[in-house]
Amino acid sequence: MTDMDRRGLLKAGIAVLAGAALAPGVTLIRAFADGGEGTSSSPSASKIRWGMVIDANKCTEKCQECTNACRTENNVPFFGDERWDGHWIRKATLTPEIEGARSRSLPLLCNHCENPPCQHVCPVAATFTRHDGIVMIDKHRCIGCRYCMAACPYKARTYVFKQPDAWSNPDVPKRDKGVVEKCTFCAHRLDQGRLPACVEACNKSGEKAMIFGDLNDPKSEIYKYIRELSPKGIREDMGLKPKVYYSGI
Amino acid sequence: MKNKIRFSTIKGNSREYVLLVLSLGFVSFCGFVAAWLRYTHGHYITNMTNAVPWGFPKIVAIYMIGLSAGSLVLSSLSGVFGITEFKIFARSAALLAALLLIGALMSIILDWGRPDRILVPFVHINPRSMFSLDAMFYTAYILTCFVYLWAMFKEKTELVKRLGVLAIFIAILVHSGTGAIFGFVGARELYHSPLLPPLFIASALSSGSAMMVVVMYLTFRWSRRPLDDALLIRLGSYMAAFLLVAGFFIFVENVTRAYFPANYEVQRFLLTSGNKYSQIFWVGMVGIGVVLPLGILFNPATRQNVGWILFASALVLAGVLAERYIIVIPAQVFPIDLFPGMKVSSPFMDGVVAKYSISVVEAFYGLGIFTFVFFLYALALKFFELLPEGAEK
Repeated sequence: MTDMDRRGLLKAGIAVLAGAALAPGVTLIRAFADGGEGTSSSPSASKIRWGMVIDANKCTEKCQECTNACRTENNVPFFGDERWDGHWIRKATLTPEIEGARSRSLPLLCNHCENPPCQHVCPVAATFTRHDGIVMIDKHRCIGCRYCMAACPYKARTYVFKQPDAWSNPDVPKRDKGVVEKCTFCAHRLDQGRLPACVEACNKSGEKAMIFGDLNDPKSEIYKYIRELSPKGIREDMGLKPKVYYSGI
Repeated sequence: MKNKIRFSTIKGNSREYVLLVLSLGFVSFCGFVAAWLRYTHGHYITNMTNAVPWGFPKIVAIYMIGLSAGSLVLSSLSGVFGITEFKIFARSAALLAALLLIGALMSIILDWGRPDRILVPFVHINPRSMFSLDAMFYTAYILTCFVYLWAMFKEKTELVKRLGVLAIFIAILVHSGTGAIFGFVGARELYHSPLLPPLFIASALSSGSAMMVVVMYLTFRWSRRPLDDALLIRLGSYMAAFLLVAGFFIFVENVTRAYFPANYEVQRFLLTSGNKYSQIFWVGMVGIGVVLPLGILFNPATRQNVGWILFASALVLAGVLAERYIIVIPAQVFPIDLFPGMKVSSPFMDGVVAKYSISVVEAFYGLGIFTFVFFLYALALKFFELLPEGAEK
């Protein structure tokens, strides 16, 4: 770790402590933002439940905007080797096992389950759920045992196999090798009142296949969409109550 | 039986002993070099991947946890169950029980991405995590083993008995807890099973008694102390009983899983596909680990012969290692069915069988830590009064 990193980390640590003292448990990365409007979560708004709907009919196979945006935004390690590359969001192609059926493309990411098995198995409680339902990892506590990776049915977690050298976004802390990481729903952006990077990129690309918002807010677009069209979570039979919904599968 | 057994140290100045300790030390050293390389470079120098995050170190760890059970049971036979003939093994077996669990913990912790955070599990506890609970059980087990050993050295018969009972109780928690690490993972069909904790206990006892047969035979032979064949033959018969139970659990688990149509594909993968995993399952775990040794231990022509019992023990030791492999690896390489009825593909190995083979670094790592336990054991024989002066009644 360079001196710069160390100082940055220390500053961030102090800021996080300050943030925690002001609004216990509400935000982790709030320290990096100076508040915002719209989507900003505050103690009084802790009934917020962030969620996402993905419309597989709008998502095209070639488009990689969401995965690229995520990689840049969150400094997700990429080594060009499928064994070790980090993936906070990945595009998958589904082909029904019926002759001539149309295949679909959709992004897979952490489902921020209401009953997260990764959090249940974590021996040091490094994985936790924020008040707004986002499942996060405390990278300063994670021991790198990888039990959560075995327990997550969505394969949403990746391990830092090698020291990453790229660091595209200084707003998101650089991780050391040896810990597990995953999608945070861009908590640092939400706390600034901005949309997750993948959703913003999807909107910009014109596909508009992702809807993000507060599942508890009857006025939100996502609330109305779910009420009208009943999209489904992946493998809801497992009882994990995922907060990423899919329609058109 | 009232005759008192005198325990003594070994002299430990023969050329063979020094050579043994040096070679065990050298292999251990290689293991620690491998662990250091892994720590400084990261896990990419192993064959573990994002699809198979648990590799050989995990296999070695749960193998050693199992072996520890056999030592503890053997140690308690005299103190707790009053089978006094086995008292000659009591001290060395109790020491091995503790050392093996220490080795297992080393194998687990040095495989963490951040072994420097070793104290974190003791500060931050998650009562819902099997790993977190096991950290408590393992620590309690090691401490109890050492206090138990101390009580034996002081010849405190009543205390030995009580501590022995306590140690057996904690051992049940340790082994059920270790099986539950895997059994409680609902996401993967091959892990998720309520039978894993009891299977783990049964195969811990079978492999543990197999190891005791081999280690005690070699310890007594090399330290030129007389050992009654009848004791090893009796250990062999205990091993046969444990093998029957373990074999039964393996049978029930796989038949139950295979019965349910949703599991046809995964059971076909494990049992009949002819791939590496089904070979290790049938040849290693079932053939070498259960059927052959049972044949030897039930055959009247071989079951009374120490040579054959040693051979059967070696088979069981290899077979249970194969079983640990089958517990840890296939569940990870077989793809999770995220979208039933659809084929899935992605740049993240979705929908395909992941690859895993034991890398050189992992092999040295596992072998080194395993050897380290016996390095410490060999040294302890020289410094502590662990072995009886004579093993005959």
